[in-house]
Amino acid sequence: MENAKILIVDDDQDITEALQAILESEQYTVLTAADRTEGMEKIRTNKPDLVILDVMMSAWQDGFEMARALKKDPEFKDTFILMLTAVKDRTGIDFKSTAGDPNWLPVDGFLDKPVEPEILLAEVKKLLSKKT
Amino acid sequence: MEPVLQNTRFVQRAYWLIKLRWIAIVSVVVGTCFCSNVLAIALHDFALYGIAILLALYNVTMLLLLNHFTKDNNEVPYTAVKKIINFQISADLLILTVLLHFSGGIENPFVFYFIFHMIIASILLSVRESYLQATFAVLLFGLLILLEYLQIVPHYCLRGFVPRCLHRDGLYILGTFFVFTTALYLVVYMTSYIAIRLRQAEQAHKEDNILLREKDRIKDEYVLRVTHDIKGHLAAIQSCLAVVANKLVGSLGERQSDFINRAHRRTKKLAGFVGMLLKLTQMRLNDKLEMDDFSLRNTICSAVAAVETKAEDKSMILKHNIEPSVDKIFGNQLSIEEMVTNLLLNAIKYTPENGTIEIDVKENTDSVLVEIADTGIGIPKDEVGKVFDEFFRAGNARKVDKDGTGLGLSIAKQIVQRHGGNIWVDSEEGVGSKFSFTLPKTNSSRSIS
Repeated sequence: MENAKILIVDDDQDITEALQAILESEQYTVLTAADRTEGMEKIRTNKPDLVILDVMMSAWQDGFEMARALKKDPEFKDTFILMLTAVKDRTGIDFKSTAGDPNWLPVDGFLDKPVEPEILLAEVKKLLSKKT
Repeated sequence: MEPVLQNTRFVQRAYWLIKLRWIAIVSVVVGTCFCSNVLAIALHDFALYGIAILLALYNVTMLLLLNHFTKDNNEVPYTAVKKIINFQISADLLILTVLLHFSGGIENPFVFYFIFHMIIASILLSVRESYLQATFAVLLFGLLILLEYLQIVPHYCLRGFVPRCLHRDGLYILGTFFVFTTALYLVVYMTSYIAIRLRQAEQAHKEDNILLREKDRIKDEYVLRVTHDIKGHLAAIQSCLAVVANKLVGSLGERQSDFINRAHRRTKKLAGFVGMLLKLTQMRLNDKLEMDDFSLRNTICSAVAAVETKAEDKSMILKHNIEPSVDKIFGNQLSIEEMVTNLLLNAIKYTPENGTIEIDVKENTDSVLVEIADTGIGIPKDEVGKVFDEFFRAGNARKVDKDGTGLGLSIAKQIVQRHGGNIWVDSEEGVGSKFSFTLPKTNSSRSIS
């Protein structure tokens, strides 16, 4: 899906901008947000195809809450969510094993942080190709 | 304080008392027989044998009573056992007095055997109870010699042992009674003194241990927090370097590119190391590992599949042989798969080209044995014992890969131990290594950690 719109929500600006550079190299339109509030705002106004979400923002459950809110909203429930996580380090929970359980954490993909460009691009491509 | 442990020990001591009593019973029988028949001392054999039989019956009763209280292994009523011990000591004192009565009373030097009961009481019971037992012994003995002196009860003179009957000899009786009484109280005083100090030392030792464990946990939490923060920064550095190294924001000259690539590579290694350290600390802090039934067969197969290309790159033979009966076990699949993959990657890393790596999975009665054998560089003899230690790396392993973290095998050990299994290595330098680990098949056989 060429020119897909991707929103990155992460409170680490260095990571946000690095991800942006990687995604822009493949001609995606990239928006960024530093927190949950800004993220929700940009989702409403820009309706991105994919949201790349960091689980561990300032309040550590922000990423979860946002993913849940998004998937509950009928307008955005088809927006893909790719979750970036280093969360296993702190919680010991392996999120990959629980992916796909829509009630627990409704996201479409997981990537470990830090993510190498080729892996990120491959995952993004895979997710967007599911969109009809 | 661990009351359960203390109870268990208390029960063990109660059993120990019963065991001692069997010895006493045999001694009474043998002693009576010997004194009466060999030394020709005038004894009331039948009374003494009768007491021995009574003692035996009483001992069996105590044994049954104790068994009854401890049969539900987990919960032993402390007070009940304590009562049993108190009762046993009092009963012993009474029986010993009766025994003395039939074997010469004050003339019998076995009177000082009361001291043993005082020692036992001081060790097992509280100071107050010990003094009460001593007082009871003094009263019993005092009553015996008084009644014999006043001829209210008959005196059985120990003819053949003492030149004349002593039960009417006032000075002798008073003297013996005085020494007897003071000896008993002194023994209780001294033994209690030592026993209390020992108990206090033990308690302090226990508290120290708890404190040490707590300190260790605080240290782990500290390491966790620090490494987590470091990892966050590293992730940002790595991401930024990746952008430049992959020329996503414009091209670089050859030398710039070279240096950026080096920095990127080193950052990745450092991130990997920090990641492993985090993982190990996480495991040490987290008591629980999510466990479920899973197929060990599939897990091993997918671990093998994951490393196949790496083995092919070094023209290695990678064989696996899983016994047909091996399948479902109870555990955390992800961590087992990761561990097997890591052990295989280690084997590939430390085995020269054209080598062989063999995985054997065998089923035992209630566990599964996994063996990963290679024809690699092996581990020097004096270092075999240390490979599972955190940060340890064998000398020859450093030569092969200078950047290893020395944490992989510690993590493997943690994982296996969490499952209630064992991990070990057999190795010969220059010939190869065989890493083996066992995993219990079911939940019930898993040891409580």
